[in-house]
Amino acid sequence: MALVALALLFGKSACAHRIDEYLQATILSLRADRVQASMRLIPGILVSPSVIAAIDSNGDGVLSQVEQRAYAQRVLGDLSITIDGKSVSPKLISWGFPQLEQMRDGIGEIRIEYSVELPSGGAHRTLVLANHHLSRTSVYLMNVLVPQDRNIRLLAQKRNEQQSLYELDYQQMAAGDARSGTAWGGPRTWLNGVQFLSLFHLGMRHIAEGTDHLLFLLTLLLPAPLLVSGSRWGPAAGARRSLLRILGIVTAFTMGHSRTLSLAAWGLVRVPEQPVEVLIAGSIFVSALHALRPIFPGKEAWIAGFFGLIHGLAFAATLERLGLGHWDRAAGILAFNLGIETMQLLVIAVALPLLMLMSRMRAYPVVRIGGAAFAAAASLGWMVERLFDIETPVDVIVNAFAGHTFWIVIIGLLAALACRFLPASRAGRASEPGMAQLLE
Amino acid sequence: MNDSTHFTSAVTWVAIVTAILLSAASFAGAQRSAATDDIVHAANAFLSSLSTEQRQQVQYAFRDAKQRARWSNLPIGFVPRGGISLKQMSPPQREAAMKLLATVLSPMGLEKVNEIREADDDVKTNGRGPGGRGGPPPGPPPGGPNGPPARSGDPGRPGGPPAVSRDEMFGSDLYYISFLGTPSITDPWMLQFGGHHLALNITIIGSQGVLTPTLTGAQPATFQLNGRTIRPLGRESDKALALLNSLEAKQRSQAVLDYAVADLVLGPGLDDKKIAPEGLKASVMDAKQQAMLLDLIAEWAGIMNEGSSADRMAQIKADLNETWFAWSGPTSGQAGSNITAYYRIQGPHLVIEYAPQHDAPANHVHTIYRDPTNDYGRALTKP
Repeated sequence: MALVALALLFGKSACAHRIDEYLQATILSLRADRVQASMRLIPGILVSPSVIAAIDSNGDGVLSQVEQRAYAQRVLGDLSITIDGKSVSPKLISWGFPQLEQMRDGIGEIRIEYSVELPSGGAHRTLVLANHHLSRTSVYLMNVLVPQDRNIRLLAQKRNEQQSLYELDYQQMAAGDARSGTAWGGPRTWLNGVQFLSLFHLGMRHIAEGTDHLLFLLTLLLPAPLLVSGSRWGPAAGARRSLLRILGIVTAFTMGHSRTLSLAAWGLVRVPEQPVEVLIAGSIFVSALHALRPIFPGKEAWIAGFFGLIHGLAFAATLERLGLGHWDRAAGILAFNLGIETMQLLVIAVALPLLMLMSRMRAYPVVRIGGAAFAAAASLGWMVERLFDIETPVDVIVNAFAGHTFWIVIIGLLAALACRFLPASRAGRASEPGMAQLLE
Repeated sequence: MNDSTHFTSAVTWVAIVTAILLSAASFAGAQRSAATDDIVHAANAFLSSLSTEQRQQVQYAFRDAKQRARWSNLPIGFVPRGGISLKQMSPPQREAAMKLLATVLSPMGLEKVNEIREADDDVKTNGRGPGGRGGPPPGPPPGGPNGPPARSGDPGRPGGPPAVSRDEMFGSDLYYISFLGTPSITDPWMLQFGGHHLALNITIIGSQGVLTPTLTGAQPATFQLNGRTIRPLGRESDKALALLNSLEAKQRSQAVLDYAVADLVLGPGLDDKKIAPEGLKASVMDAKQQAMLLDLIAEWAGIMNEGSSADRMAQIKADLNETWFAWSGPTSGQAGSNITAYYRIQGPHLVIEYAPQHDAPANHVHTIYRDPTNDYGRALTKP
């Protein structure tokens, strides 16, 4: 037998599995009224014959359901569990057994789930778990998950050397006391500048990379410097008036999305993501139509504010996915929103003068109509994508454009400057409305 | 009119200055997405080098949960992997596959992967016994049909996976590549590469690359190749030992656990689990010790290419005050030879475990690298 064992060690150890140990790993999940446990039991190659013999009680080489259940019960019977010194008994929930061959190779994993009802007790509680199952050949791992329940706070874990004996001390507050347990952690989080910065950064990136938000805003700004003439867009309005209108639109959009971002991030509003994403694509389409023909002249700020509410819901979904804790949230929302606004301001800082200059060009209708058509096409693509969950090349195309923002800005600037300072452009200005009509 | 002209020219200057500032920022951003561009390009180059049949073999749906979980520390004879192996590829295909890895991984990451594969060549050619190299080359274990422990060596046993020869079990070419979803610069997709002691699960989402969960391991963990000593996970051992040795008595007593940890707690299959952290909190380390801890973590986080690694390290750095370092086992050791102790690094978005294996603690190690909030990029992809 010793020879066989030695040969096995030489032959099998390179296969990276257990040899002469029975690994019993348990992860506990602690709730207010019970503890749930999942066990993984992996007999090593030299231990597996005795474990298999223990399971296969009739020795027919098959692990029947009855035998599996009986073994799982036996494992639970070998546990002794107490809460605050009182004995409690585990209840079997489920079990799963590997193929016999896997067990013989030392790689088979038995899974057992059980739960233990915990009677109510004081604020300071002690759970003790001792595992005596096949202790002569076993090694143990004992761990507890971070509790989901905010009223439970883990205080200490103690184990013997082999981890066959495990003690968990924890504090259990009545539901009403929860705030006192977490509140003092709040101010500290506020001061956690690193996390604040990373969320701020995330907000900036969200705008820079979330091209749909920017496309909506920029499309809405396209006709903002213009006067309405009849049912069409006319020549540029005065500088002051254009400027005020652009700033009004941007402010309204910001107020809209800040509002819903805060509401949704605090869990006060809950909207499924898909309709929000579809509505955002729709908002781009509406602003593209408006850039072609004035459909709500003078009311752009209201429209921006309204759609801002919807865009804010999408920002909140991003924040949601980070899984911030309750108290991290206030600081988180602030940092994230500041990031969004900063990036938006940077974009506007470039777009605003560019728009002001270009709107005075004779060829501005080309820019406006081209931009609106691009936005309309992109929004239709996104709507199809988000409604039917299919892939379209929209993202690739839009991102390709976004990747060349720098050159688009430079070309726009040069064109605007050329028109501004070349004498020909002044002469041309008189015929601007005519030109616009021609193009439309 | 005059006012308006002044106004417009002032606005022009503001615009030019801002445009120049912004272009610098967008250049940095463009560099990032260029990395994903290159990866997608290399992935497509590899895919187009495959036959139609091979292409079907490597391609899975992005949300194929079974294929996601089809990884292990075990040799492929025990846990068959999806996709196709380097062995099944023609030389140009293999070259395209390695080119793809070189694009996704950092030079350090690629070297680590290759050394883990070389360790498997060492197993194949030299065999291995307890105590390192030089043991008798293991043939099929004796025992006969009556000796149950020897069952796995019986060729032709029905249902048993390892009815294969050493050549089919070990070797640097028995590493498999697979794709979940289609390589894209915008939509999420996954690249898996792995075999014995290696499982890279890489999720690419736009400019972000996520490496969790990933398993590295080695046996032998020290070997000779062309006159050179190779330790695929040597820095993981040396840097951890150096960190332990830098701790003062009180810190050390907190870091060193008083119980044995026999294996990985969060090995293959145990995704998304946040266990209660133990050991020494990095908030009570000094700046130098914190830097050493980050440098140790970089052995895993730095496997990915530069951009993704930098993002990940920034996140880990931000979490540093909530990050724990725990050690279990012998505290003595020497740089250059592998530790025989277990250690764990755990933070809000991080679990690293280094677990020497019971059969040959200094020469056989498994490690796992996870983000319990973002395994398989879950936090960044919609459910």
